[in-house]
Order: sequence, then C-alpha cells, then structure tokens
Amino acid sequence: MTTTPKYRTGLKPIWCPGCGNFAILSAITRNLLPDLEIPNHRVFIVSGIGCSSRMPAYINTYGMNSLHGRALAIAQGAKLSKPELTVIAIGGDGDLFSIGAGHLPHVVRRNVDITCIMVNNFVYALTKGQVSPTTPHLLRGEGPFLSMKYYPPVDPMLDMVSFSFSTRASFIAQGTTHDIPHLTQLIRQGVLHRGFSYISVLTPCVTFNPPELLSTIKERARYLQEGEMINLPSGSTEEPWIHNPRDIDLALKLAQFSLLEEPLLGVFFKGDEI
Amino acid sequence: MVKIGSNRVTIGIAGAGGDGVVVLGSFFQKIAASCGYYSAMPRYYGAQIRGGGSAVKLSLDAERFSIPKDTLDILVCFNWDKYLEFTTELQQSQDTIVIYEYDPPQGIKLPAASFKIDFSTKSEETTESPKNKNLVALGLLAKIVGLPEKYIKQTIKDNHALGLLKDKMTAFEEGERLFTELSIPELSLPVPVSDVSKIILHGSAAMARAAIRAGCKSFFGYPITPAAEIMQEMQEKLPQQEGTFVQAEDEIASAGMVVGASLSGVKAMTSTSGPGLDLMTEMMGLAASAEIPMLIVDVQRCGPSTGIPSKSEQSDLNHAVYGGHGDAPRVVMAPYDLEGCYRLIIEGFNIAYGFQTVVIMLSDQWLGQTMVAVDDTFLHEKYQIVETVKPDSTAQEQYCRYQLGEDFISPMAAAGDEGLTYQATGLTHNTCGAPAFDFETQQMMHEKRWQKLMPLCQRDDLVKVFGAEESGKGIISWGSSAQVVLEVVRDLDLLEQVKVCIPELLYPLPDKLARFVASTEMLLIIEMNFSGQIHRLLRSNIDLPEKTVVYNRTGGHPFSKQELVASIRGLIQ
Repeated sequence: MTTTPKYRTGLKPIWCPGCGNFAILSAITRNLLPDLEIPNHRVFIVSGIGCSSRMPAYINTYGMNSLHGRALAIAQGAKLSKPELTVIAIGGDGDLFSIGAGHLPHVVRRNVDITCIMVNNFVYALTKGQVSPTTPHLLRGEGPFLSMKYYPPVDPMLDMVSFSFSTRASFIAQGTTHDIPHLTQLIRQGVLHRGFSYISVLTPCVTFNPPELLSTIKERARYLQEGEMINLPSGSTEEPWIHNPRDIDLALKLAQFSLLEEPLLGVFFKGDEI
Repeated sequence: MVKIGSNRVTIGIAGAGGDGVVVLGSFFQKIAASCGYYSAMPRYYGAQIRGGGSAVKLSLDAERFSIPKDTLDILVCFNWDKYLEFTTELQQSQDTIVIYEYDPPQGIKLPAASFKIDFSTKSEETTESPKNKNLVALGLLAKIVGLPEKYIKQTIKDNHALGLLKDKMTAFEEGERLFTELSIPELSLPVPVSDVSKIILHGSAAMARAAIRAGCKSFFGYPITPAAEIMQEMQEKLPQQEGTFVQAEDEIASAGMVVGASLSGVKAMTSTSGPGLDLMTEMMGLAASAEIPMLIVDVQRCGPSTGIPSKSEQSDLNHAVYGGHGDAPRVVMAPYDLEGCYRLIIEGFNIAYGFQTVVIMLSDQWLGQTMVAVDDTFLHEKYQIVETVKPDSTAQEQYCRYQLGEDFISPMAAAGDEGLTYQATGLTHNTCGAPAFDFETQQMMHEKRWQKLMPLCQRDDLVKVFGAEESGKGIISWGSSAQVVLEVVRDLDLLEQVKVCIPELLYPLPDKLARFVASTEMLLIIEMNFSGQIHRLLRSNIDLPEKTVVYNRTGGHPFSKQELVASIRGLIQ
C-alpha cells in the first residue's frame, strides 16, 4: 500500500525499523484524516520532544515539534484562539507524564477540545534507554518487563489511565500500535468528542524495551466493548460488570486493573461534551 | 495661615489595612484630577496580605506631571506603628503638616504644625460608623490644598467611582469643618493651568488598554506581584472584544499558549515579573528559533529569587537581553512613563508581529502600580497597527515558511490558512522548515534571525533625548529611574547644560544611543540594580567616554531626588 500523499510530508521518518510510531503515523495519515475528510489546513498537530514527538514533521497539516513537555500549552493557545482548528497534541510518556505532567490536570479541567495522544513506550528512547515514569517497577531480570541492559527504576510506575480518571478527563481510551484499525477508531472518537480526549497508546520501543514487554501486553490485553461483560480483575469478589463508558463509577473501577497484568483496550470513559 | 505658592504638593497617608488609606488617596486623586491637577500616587505595602501597613504618597501638580517630592508637605497618619514601616518613603520635615489620630510613640518628634484629630469618633458622630474616618480626612485635605469647591461637588455627583462618598457627605463635611475649627494651615495650590479633567491610570492599566488597541485577542497569564494588574485588566476587557483570556497553571503554560495563539495568527501576550520570566525563558528560545511573534511584559521587582515582590528594581535587563541558552535574538524595550507604557505596547505588538520576534517589555513596580493623572491625549492619538506579512497562497507550488528575502522576514502563514501548511520546530531547520543538522543551515538561520532585527537599530524615535544637544555632558537612564533623573535635571534647571538620553529600545542597541554616547565627554549612567546592568550592556557594545560615572544601587525604595542631585551636580562641576 502506498502512502497517502495528501496527509504526508516528503520527510522520511527517523524512527527505528519496526517502531510503533509508524503505526500511529499511518493511523493518522492513512485512516483518520482521510476518513474524517478534514482539510489539511484545518488541522494543527503539536508535539513535545521525544521519538513520537517527531510526528508533526511527517504530517502535511499545520504542525509544531515544540518543547519537551509543553505541547499541551501550545495546543491550548491555538485551539482557544482559533476554535475552528482540529488540534491534536502528541507526546511520549516522558514528555507528557514526567516533564509536562503539571499541565495535564489543567487542560483536563478546562476541557479544551484537544485530542491528546500519549504514546507510551515505557522508556526514554531518544536519549537512549533511561527509565521513564511508566517503566515497569520491577527488579533487574524480574518478569518479562524489564530490560537486562539497564538499571531498573527505583520508583513505582505511574498509571496514566488511572491518572486521567482521577482528574476526570472527559474522554479516556487506550489502544496499541499492534491494532491500527482499533487505534484509528479510538483517535477518531477522540477527535469527534467535543472536549479534552486522552488516548493512551501502548507501543513497543524496539530498541530499548525487552521484546517480551509488548508481546506480553498484547497477549494479555482484552478489548472493552460497550454493553459487553467485563471479566473481573483476578481475585475480585464483585459481580461482573457490563461496560458502559458513560459510567464514571465503573471507569474508576477499571482504573484499578493493572496495566501490565490485565491491560484493557478501548474506550474507558466518555463524559460530557462542551 | 501659611500660604505656600508652590505648584506642587505632596501628601503622605499611612495606616493599617482597613483604615482606608488607598481609598482616601484614590478619592482625593480623582477629585483633583477632575479639577485638572496632574498627580502621581505610588503605593507602598508590606509583605502581609491583610493587617499589614499600607501607605500612599500623592503628589499634585498644577502645571505639569511631576513625581512626588522626597519630603511630605502633609502627612495623614492613622497608625504610627504602620507609618514606621514606610519612613523612607514618607519622610517628614519640620515644615510638614501632620494630622494624626493617636499620639505617636516615643522617638517620633512631631513638627510644629501637627494636629491630633480623633477621626474615628468624628466619623462615628457623623455617619454612625467609625469606618468613614478616611472620608473625614478627605474633606480636611481638600480644604488644606484648597481644591475648588465647585469641582468637588460636581465630581462627587458625577463620578461613579466616588459613589461611596456620595452617601457619606456628612463625614466629608465634618472634615471641612475641622479645617476651620482647628485653624490648620492652608497649602493652597494654584488653579491648574488647564481645567481639563485628567485621566487616572497606572502603567499596567495603560499597557492592557494599549494591547487591546494593538489588536491583542488572547491573553494568557499567571498571577504574580506586581504584574497581576495587567492580567486583571485583560480579564475584564478581553471578553468585551470577544477575545480569549486564560489564567494558566504556570508561566511556562502562559508563554506556551501565546506561542500557540501566534501560530494560529492571533495576536497574544502575557505578563509576569522576574520569577515568571525565568520560567518563560525556554518558550522565548523556541519563539526566537521558530520566529513566532511573542510579547512578554515583565513588571520588574526586587530580585534575585523571590526578592521583594512589592518593590521596584531594574535588575531583569540582563535576563531580558541574554536569558536562555543558544543565541536567541529578541527585542527588549522599556517605557519610562505612562504615555510610554501605552505607546510602547502598541509598538511592541507591531515589532513582535511585524518582525516575527520575541519582544520583552520591561516595566517595573513603580511604573506598573503608580496611579498617574495626566492628559489623555495619548489615548486618542493615531497609531499605526502592523500585521504579520502573509504569504500569497496562489503564488507558489510549495510554501517555504522561512524563505530568505531581502529583509530576512519571511511571510508567515497562520494555522488555518488554506494551501500553506508547514511544520514549525525548535530544531534547527532549513528555509522550508524541515529539520536540518548541518553547519551551513545553522549559520544561515542565525544570520537570518539576527539580521532581520537590525533595522530596529535605526529607530531613532525610540530613543528620547532631552536638554542641550551640543553639551558634552550626558546622562543615560532607563525605565522609571529616568523619571526621577529628568525631574532632578529640570528642578536644578540644568537642561541648558546637560542632556539626558532615555532609550526606550534597549536591545538591539539603537544607533542613536551609540551616537549619544559618542557625543559626550562625560557620561553619567543611572539605574536601579546592583551590578550596573545597562552600564555593562553599553560597555560591551560601545566605547564609553573615559569620564563615565555610574550611579546604581538595588531597589527597595525609589530613587529620591536628593539622592541623585549629588551625582548630577557632579557632572557639571
């Protein structure tokens, strides 16, 4: 399949072969934007610093590869000043959840109509493999989640989906780069949702993750479907639930699923629009 | 009855929170302004939010705008303990008329013309509340200064802001009565040269109004002393213009939001003080690199770190000029008076959006918070409003955002413009905006960004020169310090012997400033910071005369005229 020139710039991505960012680029340029038929000039994509933050350079819309952690501030300035723009913010786990974490609760409470794509590869990849706030907190060699090559994190990982529930983001979803059609659907719903949309994307870093990390997540992942039964976390004594993304109480329960043990994919919560 | 035939009178008012010090000062200023008097009213306050001391110094002038005298003609003191926090600002002399409510503590020697008045009781007797004691004092002050009766009554009737007074005229009249009863001396001001009512604004309000005039549609800010007034004004005014106002979560975000707004073609600004400017510095670098218009007002206060938030200093010049990593060009400007606060914000927007650059406007606590009554002509002048040059979407196959032209200013598309999409970045980029990592591009883009600002050096209008042009004796000062310098030179009647240069554009260094320096044999530089920041800036760019003297000290209290007299006299001897 050839690229869709309409939404791609001529620049060749600098990512490693097999990087999950190709999947996100593809989801946006081949599926999302053509499907929604948004003219190139009506879209503004802003990123921070990191591997995934190189994305805007490859997408033929208005874009900016800005500062580490600051994509959401710039996105808000643009969206609030020119509401007719479709504004997407992209950043990695270090970008949005470490250096830029202070901005997140505020964009959530303002409920600015921005789609935030948080690309979680569990590691600082551009700087070559340091731990990030989402690096699994396990001892060296313990379980499949930690590379033997690097020092393990000393602090527990932040669960970004749980964080988003706690700040009451108005649209919360999680996808993976293994399933581009599903991911595209999530981003599409996020863009169409009038309010702040938070989309967590689980993706492998082919260079600095142990390969088992994402393959295990992929194996264990379950899809959330509205109206369908959710299997309870292991050890739970509660009655099974029917998934309803409009139910915040249910969403808060979903937040308690361990990302590594029982990852869930799909729309967790969809709150009020503006 | 003592009559002093001066054109000016300076009144100090001190008290505790709740004494109505600021209300008294503001009401008096409003009434005097409606009579046509010029005035300046700096505010002084302590660190406490409530219960601390509060003081104002109000100077009226019948002839022209002037700053308060060093020593008071009249002191109204509601609370001596609080007064003691402001003895530097509210200096008495033996000629000061002191009106006070309680006996002073030991160690305070009252001048001959001192009058104890039980304001609280008088207020209670006339309005059934002790809270209106400031209005009793107001009636008394109006009499001492001899404000024309007809204006007082008319102003109180017409001025919405004086509504409180309208209902409590009995307190005001009690003050007038006390004046006669106690035979308090009169310091009758002459009738103002023009009875045209004066407008009352502080520098921060003037800046906010100017921003709207310049086409600012988005304001993003974070509360900080002493810059919050700009944010508050914008919060009130922008919605009336269908603009956007956001109180951001921090100064990083407010500066980032300005970048976002500018990228979408909307004029935006932010305001802050030193600690906030620190946080905005990374955005300044991004805006410089990606050539995004950005206007930041820094209402300077004492530093470093938290310093003295409520007091003026001029110590952010280094940061404004040099702050940040890499070679990030920017424009630094500084008004020195109220009219300048207004004019330079319009100019600042014009430069930021015309040249696609960062503009840092250095105000300070004195300029920002001093309430000034002057002629409002500057509000009605015609100002040119500059817009960003836009590319012609039909003229090109592919739009190159940073294409090189003669003036190094590349047409800038706004997000939303059809057919002109591009991707901005803080990475080194080529003329089409694509990331580049080679020496040639790095060197070329630096040249582009620095060269485009060079025409600003020829903006002679942004360098004010007063006095004897042919004189070889020059003074350079900037920002609010320049107000005091000018005033002292005028008071000493030295305008025939020296010349004063006040650069409103500080960076890039204007040619006119260099020419001024070159034309002097003796140079005096006056600024309010410890390390002599403008002196060093000048010295690193221009050959200064051998006989160059610098008078500089930290902020903490304003320059007094007396303090500057010696250095300025030294220049002519």
